[in-house]
Amino acid sequence: MSEDYSIHHLPNGIRLLFLRTGKFKTISMGFFIHCNLDQDTAALNALLPSVLEQGCRLYPDNLTLQRKLENLFGAELSTDIIKSGERHIVAFGLEAAHGRFTGQNGRLLTESMAILGNVIKDPLLEDGTFRQNYVKQEKNQLIKDIKAILNDKSAYAVEKCLSAMCADEKYGVYKLGRIEDYGKISAADLFKHYRDLMTTKPVDLYVIGDLDEKEVLRAANEAFSYSRSEKTCSLLPAEVDHPVNEVRVMEEMMTVNQAKMVLGFRTYIPYNDKLFCALQVYSGVLGGFPHSKLFMKVREEAGLAYYIHTRLERHKGLMLISAGINAADRQSVHGIIEAQMNEMLNGKITDAELENTKRGLVNQLLSRQDNPSQLIAFHLDGVVGGMDYSFDQLIRGIEATDIDQIKAVAKRITLDTAYLLKPREGEVVRDDN
Amino acid sequence: MTISHVLIENHALQESLYHYRIEPGLDLYILPRPGYRKKYAIFSTRFGSVDNNFRVEPEQDYTELPDGVAHFLEHKLFEDEQGNVFNRFAELGASANAYTSFTQTSYLFSATTNFEENLGELLRFVQEPYFTRETVAKEQGIIGQEIKMYEDHPHWRIFFNLLESLYRVHPVRNDIAGTIESIAEITPELLYRCYNTFYHPSNMAVFIVGDLEPQAVAEQVAEDINGRCYGQIGQIVRNYPDEPDHIMKEKVVQELVVSEPIFYLGFKDIVAKRLSGNELMRRDILMELVLDIIFGTSEQLYNDLYRENLIDEGFGFEYTAESNYAYTMIGGETRNPDLLYEQVMKAIVDTRRNGITEEQFERHRRKILGGYIRRFNSLEFIANNFLAYRFRESDMFELPRILQEVSREEALALAVENLDLSRHAVSIIMPSSNG
Repeated sequence: MSEDYSIHHLPNGIRLLFLRTGKFKTISMGFFIHCNLDQDTAALNALLPSVLEQGCRLYPDNLTLQRKLENLFGAELSTDIIKSGERHIVAFGLEAAHGRFTGQNGRLLTESMAILGNVIKDPLLEDGTFRQNYVKQEKNQLIKDIKAILNDKSAYAVEKCLSAMCADEKYGVYKLGRIEDYGKISAADLFKHYRDLMTTKPVDLYVIGDLDEKEVLRAANEAFSYSRSEKTCSLLPAEVDHPVNEVRVMEEMMTVNQAKMVLGFRTYIPYNDKLFCALQVYSGVLGGFPHSKLFMKVREEAGLAYYIHTRLERHKGLMLISAGINAADRQSVHGIIEAQMNEMLNGKITDAELENTKRGLVNQLLSRQDNPSQLIAFHLDGVVGGMDYSFDQLIRGIEATDIDQIKAVAKRITLDTAYLLKPREGEVVRDDN
Repeated sequence: MTISHVLIENHALQESLYHYRIEPGLDLYILPRPGYRKKYAIFSTRFGSVDNNFRVEPEQDYTELPDGVAHFLEHKLFEDEQGNVFNRFAELGASANAYTSFTQTSYLFSATTNFEENLGELLRFVQEPYFTRETVAKEQGIIGQEIKMYEDHPHWRIFFNLLESLYRVHPVRNDIAGTIESIAEITPELLYRCYNTFYHPSNMAVFIVGDLEPQAVAEQVAEDINGRCYGQIGQIVRNYPDEPDHIMKEKVVQELVVSEPIFYLGFKDIVAKRLSGNELMRRDILMELVLDIIFGTSEQLYNDLYRENLIDEGFGFEYTAESNYAYTMIGGETRNPDLLYEQVMKAIVDTRRNGITEEQFERHRRKILGGYIRRFNSLEFIANNFLAYRFRESDMFELPRILQEVSREEALALAVENLDLSRHAVSIIMPSSNG
C-alpha cells in the first residue's frame, strides 16, 4: 500500500517514519515534538520554534539561513505549533525540490536534513542561553499573532465559541497561549523548556520522497544525534466526557457587515471510538458538503447564508456548525438547523444523502494521499488519537456506516454553546477588544 | 475516432503534455501523472470581471454589462432544471467547484472514482445553461451575502482600495462580484447573451491531469463537443477603456476591525498592456526576480524590517500581468504604515541606484526554479495556472527555460522602468476606533 511507512528508531529514541514514493517532485521532512496541551507551557511551546527558526550556531541569523536554503533551490523551512485534541505539537518542516530536477542528486538529502537538524538541535547560544533579542522579537511577533485572530472574523468566532465552551478544560487553552504569559518568559526560561522538550518528549521524524532508505537512515542519524533521556514522558488522551448542564448563549457586538454564527456541540465520540466513522458520516450528511442538508436548506433553499458548514475536532469529540448570515435571520437559521438535526436523530436521511456523503468522505481520504503534508498529518492524527487507522480501515468503516449508527451518533450530540458575532446597530458599544 | 495531438515534452519538469484541438476551436490539454489517486479537470472560459464591454463580429454595437456578471453566471451554471449540479458530482463521489477572476471563469472537479462520468457531467453542466427569473432573483440574495462577507475581509478590501487608487477607469478597479446594486440589474436575458458569446468552445479550454490514458479522455471530450453541433461565431471584440498612465489617487485609508494597521503599496504598470505571449511571461518572471531580490526573506531589507517589528512573516509582494492591465503590490500588517512606506520606497530607490549583484541574481533564480518545481506536486496548481497562462497566449511550461534566459541587466532595467515612483499609490486599513 502506498501509505505504508517503514519505521525505525534512531539510537536516541527518535522515531523515524520513512515513506518511499516516486510520485512527488519533492523530498519532504517533518519533525514533531509531542507535548500535552497545558496553560503553563502553551506560550513556551509556541515561542520555541519561532526562536529556533531565527538562527542556529551554523547559520546565526535568518538572512544567512535563508540564503543557504535558496542555494538549495529554494528549499523551504517551516515551523508550526499544532493544537490537536489536548496535545500541543511543536513542528518543524523542510521541503525541497527533488535533486533529479535540479541536478543535485546525492547531496540534497544530507544537506537539507542537516539544515533541519542544525536548526532544531544546535541553536545559537549566548551566555549559555538563547539570544535575548531573538526571544524578545519573537515574543512581540506572537503577541501580534494572538491579537490578529480578530482579523479573520469567522476564525475569530470559532475561537471565541471554543474557548468559552472549554474554559475549564485543557482544550480551552489557545494554541499560542495568552498574551500575559509572554511578559514573564525570559531567554533562560525558554532555554530550560527547550532542554526539557528535546530530551523528555516523544519525537517523530517523517521523511517522504523518492529516496534510498539506507541513505535516509544515515542522514537522520547524522543530523539528529543528540542525547535524550531513556524514558519519554507520557501523553494524555483528550478528555471527552465533559457534561453539558445548560446551553451557553453568547452574543458579541462588532463593527462588521455580516453576522457569524457558531454552534458548539459535544459528540462524546473521540478518534478511537467505535462510532468515529459514523460521526464523520453524520457530520458530512448534516453539513460537510455542498450536497449536505444545511447547505441545501439554509443556503440553496432559503438563501439565508453564503456559507454554512459543520466541522469536527476529531480528538476532542467536538462538532461546530458555522454560518455567515444576516443577524436578523438568526432565528430562522437556528430553526432550520434544529429541524435538520431532528431529522438526523430520527434517521430521516435519504439514500442519496448517505451514499453521496460516504463517497465524498472516501474521495477526501484518497485525495490526501496525493499530498506529502497531508500524508504526514493523517499519520499524526493516528498518533494523537491513539488509533493507527490505515486509509483502508477508515474507508471501510465509512462505507459500512448505517442509519442506526448515525442515529446512535445523533443521540450523543449535545449543544453546548451558541455564539453570535453581530453587527452593531445604532449606538456604539465598546467591547473588550 | 482518432484525434491528433501535439506532444509537448518538458525536460526541466520531466512532464509530457498532450495538446488536442477540438473543433470548433476548443483547446484540450491532458497531463498524465502516474501514481496519483486523484484526477482533476478544469473547464475555463476567457470571461472574467473585466470583460464588461464587448461585441461579436460583425455586430457594430457594444454590449455593456453591469459589474459582477461573469461571477453571477458562474453561480447560476451550478443550477439546472433538475436542481443543483453539486448533487450530481456528489453522487459520483467528486468534489466540484468554480471560481471567477478578473479574466476567466473556471469550473472544476477532483475525483478518485468515476472519472469518465464526472468529466461527462462537467462538460454537460457547463454547456447547458438554465437561467430563469426565479433562480436569478434567489441568487441575488446569496451573492449579496457573499459581497457582505468580503466587505469585512481586510485583505480583500485593501486590495480593491489599492486597485481603485491605481486605476481611473479600467474595470479591474471593480469588485469581481459587483455590488448589491449592480447585480440587481442582472436578468436571464443578459446572462444568455453573455453565455452565448463567451461560452463558445473557441473561447474556452480544458485541462485534465491525473493517472489517465490521454487518447481515451480526448475522445470522450471530442465526442461531447461534436455532439453539440456548435456553429462558428464571430470574433469577440473586448472593449477596454483607455486607461491613462497616471494613477487615480495617491493614498486611501479605510477603518475596519483589525488588530493592527495593514499597508499595501502598489505600482501601476503601463508597458505590459502592449505585450503578450512569452514577452509578457518574461516580464512576469523578471518582476518576480526583482521583487524577491528587493523584498525577499533572504535580503537585508526584510530582516531589518522584521527586527524593527515593522513587518511580520505575512509581508509579501506580487506582480500581476495581464494583457490589458498590470500592477505590483507590496505589503502586509505593520505597526507603523508611514515608517514602512518610507523604508520600502528607500529600498526601491537604493536598488535602482546600487544595482543587483550576480550572486543575488543567481541565488534568487535558483529559489524561483525550486519553488516552481515544488508546486508541481499539486495537480490543481498545474491545471489552474496552465490555463491562466494559456489565456494570455503564453505557455507555463516555458517558465524554466525563460527563467534561465533572463539576465541581471534586464532585471535592473525593469526595476527602474516599472517601479516608477510617479505611478505608485498606497492603501491602508486602520483599526477602527470603536471595535
